[in-house]
Amino acid sequence: MITISNLTKKYNGTTVLDIPALNIQPGESFGLVGNNGAGKTTLFRLILDLIEANSGEVTIKNQPVARRDEWKSYVGSFLDENFLIDFLTPDEYFAFVGKLYNKSEGDISAFLEKFSEFFNGEVTGNKKLIRELSKGNQKKTGIAAALLGDPQILILDEPFTALDPSSQIRLKRILNELQETKNTTMLISSHDLNHVTEVCKRTVVLEKGKVVRDIATSDDTLKELESYFAV
Amino acid sequence: MLIADLLKQEFRKGFRSQAFYRGLAVKLFMGFMTLYFAAIFITIGFSLGKILEEVHDTRTPLELINGASVYIILTALTIRFFMQSLNTLNLQAYQSLPVKRSTLVNFILLKPLFSIGNYLTLLVVIPFAVRSVSAWHSGWVALQFVVVCILIIWMDIWLASYLKRRFGSDLRAFVVILLILAGVAALEYFKVFSVFGFSMKIFGFVMMNPLGLVVALLVSGMAYGLNLMFFSKNYYPEKFNEKLSRGENKVTGGFSFLEKYGTIGELIQLQIRLIFRHKRTKSLIYMSAVFMLYGLLFYTNEMYSGSPAWLIFCGLIVTGMASLTYGQWVISWESNYFDAILTKNIPAKTYIKVNYFILIAFNVISFLLSTPYLLMGTKFFFLHVAMFLFNTGINAFLLIFTATFNNKRIDLSARSMFNYQGTTYKSFLIILPVMFFPMLITFILANFLSFNMILLVLGLLGLAGVVSTPYQMKLCTQQFVRRKYALAEGFRESE
Repeated sequence: MITISNLTKKYNGTTVLDIPALNIQPGESFGLVGNNGAGKTTLFRLILDLIEANSGEVTIKNQPVARRDEWKSYVGSFLDENFLIDFLTPDEYFAFVGKLYNKSEGDISAFLEKFSEFFNGEVTGNKKLIRELSKGNQKKTGIAAALLGDPQILILDEPFTALDPSSQIRLKRILNELQETKNTTMLISSHDLNHVTEVCKRTVVLEKGKVVRDIATSDDTLKELESYFAV
Repeated sequence: MLIADLLKQEFRKGFRSQAFYRGLAVKLFMGFMTLYFAAIFITIGFSLGKILEEVHDTRTPLELINGASVYIILTALTIRFFMQSLNTLNLQAYQSLPVKRSTLVNFILLKPLFSIGNYLTLLVVIPFAVRSVSAWHSGWVALQFVVVCILIIWMDIWLASYLKRRFGSDLRAFVVILLILAGVAALEYFKVFSVFGFSMKIFGFVMMNPLGLVVALLVSGMAYGLNLMFFSKNYYPEKFNEKLSRGENKVTGGFSFLEKYGTIGELIQLQIRLIFRHKRTKSLIYMSAVFMLYGLLFYTNEMYSGSPAWLIFCGLIVTGMASLTYGQWVISWESNYFDAILTKNIPAKTYIKVNYFILIAFNVISFLLSTPYLLMGTKFFFLHVAMFLFNTGINAFLLIFTATFNNKRIDLSARSMFNYQGTTYKSFLIILPVMFFPMLITFILANFLSFNMILLVLGLLGLAGVVSTPYQMKLCTQQFVRRKYALAEGFRESE
């Protein structure tokens, strides 16, 4: 589904990402862990064509991503608040994003209905603008909008931070359900090893821009990761 | 000293921000424009004395300047009120540190004094003082004149930022200021009360009597004090929030008919909401509406209506102010959610098309609103038709194409007053060539063509542009795709 080859990214001469080869299969749930500055967000931004690679390329469905539009119709993503339109209410934002993916109003409200538990009554149906929401509710808005277009590929950066414990559990449930019912390919990064191993079947550890571990999740994965990160 | 540390940090912020590393071409252009204006100002300064000597036989140039001072100061204050951005500081970052609040407030107030742009008028004042004042009066008076001018600049800076903090830059404030100016001018005109004479006495004292220096110091000190008072009452950012968020939610529905037009309709609706939910974009629209009246001034004045170049300039303003001012930041307006634009299902081509539609819509609306000028003569109507075509066919392209170089984030939804980002003179300089290019053409053509022929030429140029719009859009799309990484990177950098 996603193929990365010889991908490097440099900032001011320092290499921040260097991935010779990485394949992500359709339906795979791909977890990305690493300390701050390991290059997680950089990798996601390269996949989403938000920054330019110094060499190499990312292809989705055998088509290069860079400077093209085709992949946008089936990739859903939420990295940070730059993905939100903060002067809209969440409802307006969902309507806007939904229309971009050719959803009817009925589709959108049916979709939001499924998220009502996750939203906990604090996101939809309010007159509040997105900029007036708490960080957690902003995150919920962004994640839901990323899923709104029924994406075949879902990319989320640190989806669990800023969420309260109940919402974290609900989000995990939503993500697991998506894998089972829609076979969505997922790329999820997190600082929290627990969350990743619970949601992802494959875990990749990045360190200083390089892939240092690539493991299929099993019962021992969490321990392995913990011992890796232990100082 | 702490204030010095803060100033150093601001200085670093400037040097380390994206804007500083802009392309060489832009830097050269900015440098050229700065030199150009500096040269003009200095020339005015040197010749001002001579010009004023011819205006009046008995009074010295300085006395005439003194008489006009009330008008000059009020006008400068008005301009500052609208152009000057509030001096900002990411207050919350500092509030939690052991920095005294009075230090922060003093810093915010003192910061603009270290900005060179605020002292441009001195380029006129100093040559005038050296050449004229010292000759007519004495070197001492010349020195005092310069010092008082600096104090007046400070007073203007503080008074404008006080008014702006206190009242915000909404339309009502604008009307009030216009009324005051009109009132003063009317008093003068109907000889009820000569502000000129009054001003001459007051400023004669301030400029020439050594005690006047003390008065000037006291007055700018008072302006500073007003700000201090304001901050002592409104220190916490959430106070500002209350004031700002009131009445912001008004336009929620409205343009739902656009939803029929798919992605393009959605994006247009989004920008309309953007315009009407932010103070800065709203006041930009109001200002454009005011500028539509420009014609009343220009077309009735012999000096301008006889000059083809000025007429063209005025036609450009009347039919294009909204699209010119909105257009110069056309991609930057959306810098807050630019990553969404790039990753959601929005083809680059569609995005460029939407921006074209918006600018063209502005042009069409302005043109329709300008039709009452028909009452003043068909000449003006044809002028507006030609300039409408020119704006739509050529300027829209130039604006969108050059907008891809503008990678400075505009944070429209800055939460508190402290984060308010205003208009800077830099963006103003970029728009100048777009405005003066048609003037230049006219200036050249006027040597061998009649005004109607010039209109025909400009109109046809515009029409050719309109016909080639699809091709222009293609060019802009390519340019946008080429520049999008640089734009995204710049926009991600919050100030």
